[in-house]
Amino acid sequence: MTAGEPSATDDAGWGVEPPASVVRPFLLTAGRIAGGDSLVPPIPIETQVVATDLGLAALDAFVFEQHRDIITLCRQPQSLAEIAAKLRMHLNVIRVLADDLRADGQLALYAPQADSARDATVLRRVIDGLRAIPDSRGAIREG
Amino acid sequence: MVSELSPTPGARSVRADTEGPKPPLPVKMVIAGGFGVGKTTTVGAISEIEPLTTEASITSVAAGVDDLTHTPEKMTTTVAMDFGCVTLDPTLKLYLFGTPGQERFGFMWDDLVEGALGGLVIVDTRRLDDCYAAVDYFEHREIPFAVAVNAFDGKVEHDLDDVRWALDVADHVPLTVFDARERGSVRDALLVVLEHALATAER
Repeated sequence: MTAGEPSATDDAGWGVEPPASVVRPFLLTAGRIAGGDSLVPPIPIETQVVATDLGLAALDAFVFEQHRDIITLCRQPQSLAEIAAKLRMHLNVIRVLADDLRADGQLALYAPQADSARDATVLRRVIDGLRAIPDSRGAIREG
Repeated sequence: MVSELSPTPGARSVRADTEGPKPPLPVKMVIAGGFGVGKTTTVGAISEIEPLTTEASITSVAAGVDDLTHTPEKMTTTVAMDFGCVTLDPTLKLYLFGTPGQERFGFMWDDLVEGALGGLVIVDTRRLDDCYAAVDYFEHREIPFAVAVNAFDGKVEHDLDDVRWALDVADHVPLTVFDARERGSVRDALLVVLEHALATAER
């Protein structure tokens, strides 16, 4: 594993460093962190994030480019994980920034319901959806 | 408050001030296993996007295996995590997260795994030891999981009964063989996990 290798290598492992931003990420969050030892339960990483009209209207007014980048990206719904990956920022920084923008009404966040993992309806929908995916040869799984 | 998505399409709770495209209900599964066992290959075989990498924090417990006199030291570590996604229909999107794996450490992936539908533990039969940590973790957290032997080059070195015995997984844990490079094979391995999760949910 060498630094700077593209993302698709297996088990990217430790110490892969994204390019440094002019503004250090945790300065932007004013030192606040999400996850880890924080007492607040972290927002799930698959939470969907969408820019609101208010956020899009404010695009030219953001002081920090990171806020603008998040709003721009979230014209289409994205997960927190996708935002972090595409903007090359730590997931926990994105959690804080997205929550700030949500508090300002510029982003809408949609977390999955807490119990959906044990919800038979959800599980059946996922099973049905996966079964419809053809394998590499285009065949659909029986059953 | 963060809005919650209802599992039923068309019935989601949406904040009154919300505008813009309606997102799908996001669900996730976790792909675990030792280093180099094929986690990212598995994600990439079925993901509709090239696997992305993000930095996340996990709590790692230093494995002082040879020295039981010390309390394991917990540290928050930043790791790179690969993931992909599959849009199952306009209202439902499945995310697949590959857990960062290092054999010499115990990991607490709670932050990443919370709310996962289930886990797939990928096993290379030449290096069975590498997946113990993942099996232990899912068992401990009571997250439905299946063990999938990655048949490198179509070959499996041991039969599944031997693998089950060696890993000491409970009889109810499904064990399967798959090819991480084949989309259909990955799909079927995920279905094994989900059907097990469904059976568990309905019990």
